[in-house]
Amino acid sequence: MPYTIDNRPADVRESLYFPEIFQAIGLVVKTFWRNAFFSRDPNPDILERDRTHNRVATVQYPEEKVPYPIGYRGLHRLVPRADGSPRCVACYMCATACPAQCIYIEAGEVEGDPIEKYPVKFVIDELRCVVCGFCVEACPKDAIRMDTGEHPTATYTREGQIYDEKRLLRGPPVSYEKDPWLVRPSRLTDAALAADRAAARPFSSLGADEYSQTPGFSSRTLAAEAKGRSGA
Amino acid sequence: MKRFVGMWLVIGAVLVGLVGLFAAFYALAALGAQAAVALGFPGFFGSSIVNAITLMAVTLMTVAALLTVAERKWSAAMQDRIGANRILVGGKFPLGGVPYLLADALKMLTKESTFPVARSKFLFELAPVLAFSPTFALFAVVPVGPEVRVLGQQVGMWVASPDAGLLWVFALAGLSVYGTTLAGWASNSRVGMLGAVRASAQMISYEVSLGMSLVGVMIAYKTVNLQAMAIAQGVDVIGPIPAIGLLLQPLGFLVFFTSSFAETKRAPFDLPEGESEIVGYFLEYSGMKFGLLFLAEFVEVVILGAITAAVFLGGWHPIFFEGWLKAHLDPVLFGAVCAAAFLAKVIFLTWLQLIIRWLLPRFRYDQIQALCWKLLLPGAIVNVFVTGAAVLADPSLELLAWIGVVEIVAIFGITLAVARPKGAHAGHDAGDAHGHAAHAAGH
Repeated sequence: MPYTIDNRPADVRESLYFPEIFQAIGLVVKTFWRNAFFSRDPNPDILERDRTHNRVATVQYPEEKVPYPIGYRGLHRLVPRADGSPRCVACYMCATACPAQCIYIEAGEVEGDPIEKYPVKFVIDELRCVVCGFCVEACPKDAIRMDTGEHPTATYTREGQIYDEKRLLRGPPVSYEKDPWLVRPSRLTDAALAADRAAARPFSSLGADEYSQTPGFSSRTLAAEAKGRSGA
Repeated sequence: MKRFVGMWLVIGAVLVGLVGLFAAFYALAALGAQAAVALGFPGFFGSSIVNAITLMAVTLMTVAALLTVAERKWSAAMQDRIGANRILVGGKFPLGGVPYLLADALKMLTKESTFPVARSKFLFELAPVLAFSPTFALFAVVPVGPEVRVLGQQVGMWVASPDAGLLWVFALAGLSVYGTTLAGWASNSRVGMLGAVRASAQMISYEVSLGMSLVGVMIAYKTVNLQAMAIAQGVDVIGPIPAIGLLLQPLGFLVFFTSSFAETKRAPFDLPEGESEIVGYFLEYSGMKFGLLFLAEFVEVVILGAITAAVFLGGWHPIFFEGWLKAHLDPVLFGAVCAAAFLAKVIFLTWLQLIIRWLLPRFRYDQIQALCWKLLLPGAIVNVFVTGAAVLADPSLELLAWIGVVEIVAIFGITLAVARPKGAHAGHDAGDAHGHAAHAAGH
């Protein structure tokens, strides 16, 4: 039901001012009492905070962060495989799709593998990036994502905004059933390969699904990770 | 839970600290009195001079300065915020935002002092002083503690106790209009002038109801001396309940508190400095001259609390357990407890003013004048007549106290009575009626 505005003229009691003011004083005193005499719930997960006593709504930004909703296009990350190397096969699809031309890739051949390539350099200039997410859409290997839930942090130099593959490669690893390196003979040891195959999921074309496919993924844990990094 | 216990511990520690502080003040006043006697003057000369330093320069200014911090932190708590906490002492402790006080003072003192070229040079410099000093001097007549015998000297915790106590209050409260008016006029700015005109109109109007509201108290206690009033408020009137002003004059309390609130020119009566319309009479001031105008406001808040506490909340009487305290404590310590109780009441009243400040939006100009002339002044005049009749009929004040009880009960009753229909039903009906009317008019 929509909120109706009671626009009748004030009755005698209301036009006396004071009774209404006394009632409102009670309200403000209650708020004061709650917030001054009870501590804030220190839970780092802002959304899960207990607000029964202290109702302070402030989020102390650099120390505390509200996790962004799923689908928020944050800072890029290069998705790792189970062994820690990037999923990226240096196909240049993202660099081609990028309207801001902020992705620079230098491909190299994987030693002892006749087919596979890997990015020797994978550099994103976050100052140029227009945060459109086309690179994520273009990637055939689900190797670049924008699911970190962070902004590019502020820096004092322009160079600080240029992220190379070492800074970009992070977050939980991802495996899919049809990943070539799980199907073809691989560099991995047999045990690691078996574990990786067991963790693999079918690849989904639905964008929203990719989050549910990452085991243990949540924007909250990523926010907590980010907080740990900024504290260190 | 830790914070809950901690807050009560802090409050307790502050109260105990106040008792110790005032015990020391009593001792200092006694030393001053001894020195005066040794030099051949009456003892109260010395104690008054010492009290002027300890009470006005130390206590009043400290409370007013801390109020700038409290304004931030208490306002924050009332609005579900944290408030100023980014200055960390030792990289760790925000200390309740108190370091902001130093930062503020440093900012005010080191700021560039700009001024309009076409100002009236002398009056421009004079206005902040005229705004600050009368309010500051008001505190002189406030009795902070009782008169006790310390180190062979009879000393009281006040700067002066003239027989014309309340008249001094009226006189100086009236003088502070000059500061604001001159500040607006001398800065030769249209907007500042507008603020000054608003300020003077508002303050002169409320001066009337302010004076009228205290006439009832004067009738009831048969004195205008604030110290005599404080003593009279310790006398029991109905059974063990003492004859505090709030009980005898609930209506007078409301009118006085509201009027003096308007005198401080703070929200909801901050029309002279309405930031959204005109910046106010101090528009052209900067640096420490602005700081003085700013501080005058906070001093006014504290002094309003002090006079309200002295006249209506039982003065320096601790009220609870007073008989026990008096019987079991050393007289000096009892005096210190009384003075601490007085300061606690003052702090409570400043807190109450802050609550009201965040509670009400700014009044419109006509609303301010209507509240003064149509509600407060008639209320005050009725109060004067009722009080006079009651005191004439029963000089022991008991009848007046019962009238006060009836008034308090009536106010509580009206407050608790829910005149507004619960739920959206009534609003819905009203909306329908309006709709029909509009419909009919359309045809």
